[in-house]
Amino acid sequence: MSRTGILFALFVLTFAILLPSLAGPFWIGLVTQILIFGLLALSVDLLLGQTGLFSLCHAAFFAISAYTVAILQVRYGLPTILAAPAGLLAGTLLSVVFGVSVRTRGVYFILITIALGYIVWGVLLRWSSFTGGDNGVTNVPFPSVGVASISTQTEYYYFVLAMISVCTLAYRVFINSPFALVLRGIKGSETRMRSLGYRTGAHLYVAFVISGLVASLAGVLYVYYNRFVNPAAASFPNSVEATLMAIVGGSGTILGPLIGSGVILGLRNWVSGFFELYATLIGIVFIVTVLWAPQGILGLFNHLQIRRRSS
Amino acid sequence: MKLPAIELELISKQFGGLLAVDAVSLMVANGERRVLIGPNGAGKTTLFHCISGTLQPSSGCVKLFGDDVTKLTENRRTELGMGRTFQISNVFTELSLLENVVLALMGTVSRKWTVHRSVGHYPELRSRALDGLDRVGLKARADDSVNDLSYGDRRQLEMALALNTNPKILLLDEPCAGLSPSERQGIAKMISTLPRDITLIMIEHDMDIALALADSVTVLHRGKIIVEGSPAEVQANSEVRDVYFGNI
Repeated sequence: MSRTGILFALFVLTFAILLPSLAGPFWIGLVTQILIFGLLALSVDLLLGQTGLFSLCHAAFFAISAYTVAILQVRYGLPTILAAPAGLLAGTLLSVVFGVSVRTRGVYFILITIALGYIVWGVLLRWSSFTGGDNGVTNVPFPSVGVASISTQTEYYYFVLAMISVCTLAYRVFINSPFALVLRGIKGSETRMRSLGYRTGAHLYVAFVISGLVASLAGVLYVYYNRFVNPAAASFPNSVEATLMAIVGGSGTILGPLIGSGVILGLRNWVSGFFELYATLIGIVFIVTVLWAPQGILGLFNHLQIRRRSS
Repeated sequence: MKLPAIELELISKQFGGLLAVDAVSLMVANGERRVLIGPNGAGKTTLFHCISGTLQPSSGCVKLFGDDVTKLTENRRTELGMGRTFQISNVFTELSLLENVVLALMGTVSRKWTVHRSVGHYPELRSRALDGLDRVGLKARADDSVNDLSYGDRRQLEMALALNTNPKILLLDEPCAGLSPSERQGIAKMISTLPRDITLIMIEHDMDIALALADSVTVLHRGKIIVEGSPAEVQANSEVRDVYFGNI
C-alpha cells in the first residue's frame, strides 16, 4: 500500500468510527454490510488477484459457516464462544475438501467451482428438516462471550469494523510475504515455477484453504449481523457479486475488494429505491470497468497518479 | 570412476504418430560441457523436457548422478540440482527483476511457505538476489518491472533464474536465440565463466558459440543421435555436413 493508500485508509477509518454519531441505523447497517461483503470479496481476490484462479464457490464457505453458527446457536443453544469457532471450522473444512479443484486450471476451474457451489446451495435448500429449507434459520441472537456481549446494532458495527481492520492489516502482511510472491509467480508462469523447484499445486491448495477461511470468517460476521440465514447466502449470484466487487474495486490490491463492496452495495441501496432494474445497472458498471478500467477503481486511480507525476 | 551427471538410457518420446525422440542414450560426465545440435525438429527440446521432467518419456530411463529420476516430478529434480532455461523466455513479466530472482532463490527452501512476514524482512534474500542480478549485469535495474525490459535483457534474466536455483546440472535451451551478435558474445562469455563443476548441456544453433564452449558435441537428427564427439570431430564429419546442408 502506498502512502496515499494508507492516508486514504486512515481517512475512511476515522469516518467509519464517527459514522454512528453522524448517521442513523440505515447507514450503520449498510456500512456493516459493506464491510462484511468486502471481506468476502477479499477472500475471493486472495485467489483471483494473487494466483489468477477464478473461484465461483466462495458463497458456499460463507454460507456453511453462517448456517453452522445459526443452527448451533438457535437449535442447540450453544454459546457464541463455541458456535462461532465451529462455524469458522466448518467453512474452512469445506474449503479443504473443495480445494481439490486446484488440480484444474482456467475455465475448468471456474466450472468445477460453480458446480461445487451449486451442490452446497442445493443441499441447504432441499434438506429442509435440518437447514430450514427456503426459510433458513431465523432468530440468531447477537454474539456474546461471557460478560462481553453485544446488544445493539452500533456495538456490532464497531466489532465488525475492528475485525475488518485487523483482517486488512493481516492481508497487507500476507500480500508482501514470500508465500504470496510465490502465488504471483504461479500466476505469471506455472511452468517456470515448477522448473525453479516449486510444487505449485501445493501452494495453490494452501492458498485456496486460506481463502476459504477468510470467506468463512465473513460468513460468521454475516450471520450475527443479519440475524438469520437462508439459501440465498450460498447462491451463485452471491459468489459472482463478491467477484465483481473485487474486480470493480481493483483486483490484486489490498483495499480494492472493500472499495468494490462499497460501490456495489452503495449503488444497489441507492438505486433500488427508485429504479427496479438495479441488477442491470450493476451489469453496466461491470462492463464499464472491464472495458475502461480493467484494473478497477484503484488501478484507475494509480494510473491517473502516475500520469500526473510524469506530466 | 566418478558417476556421470546425467545418463539417459533408451529415451523415447512419442506424440501420437510422431516419434520425436527415438531411443536416445546419452552420458554426460560430471563437469562436462555438452552441446546438442541438430536441425529444426530433431527432438532437441523434447529431449530437454524429458531430462528436466517437464515431459515424461514414453519409455527409457533418466539417471541423475546414478539415481533413477524418471518418475520424479520436475520440482523434485530441481531439488536434486537440475536447473534449466527455456527457448522462449519464461520469466515473470508482472514482477520486478529482484522478485524474479528471489523466486529462483526460494524454490528449494522452506522460506517459500512464510506468510506472516514480508519479503523485505529478509535482507539476505535481497542481497543474494542482487548478487544474482549482478552476475548477468542487471543489478542496476533490480526494481524495474520485467515488462520494461528489452528482449536481450530478458534472455539474461532467464539465465539468472536458472543460475540462482544453485544447479549442479544446467540445461540451456538456445540461450542466444534471437540475440544480436554483440549480445550473443555477452551470453557466451558469461557461460564460459560459469564454475567448471556445473555440468552444462546446451542446445545452440550458433556454431561459433557452440563449438567454442563445448567439450563435446552430440548431433541429433530425426530423434536419433547420429554423431557424438569432440567439436573438431563433429565439424569434420561428413554425415553432419549432409544433415545440415540437406544431402540426404
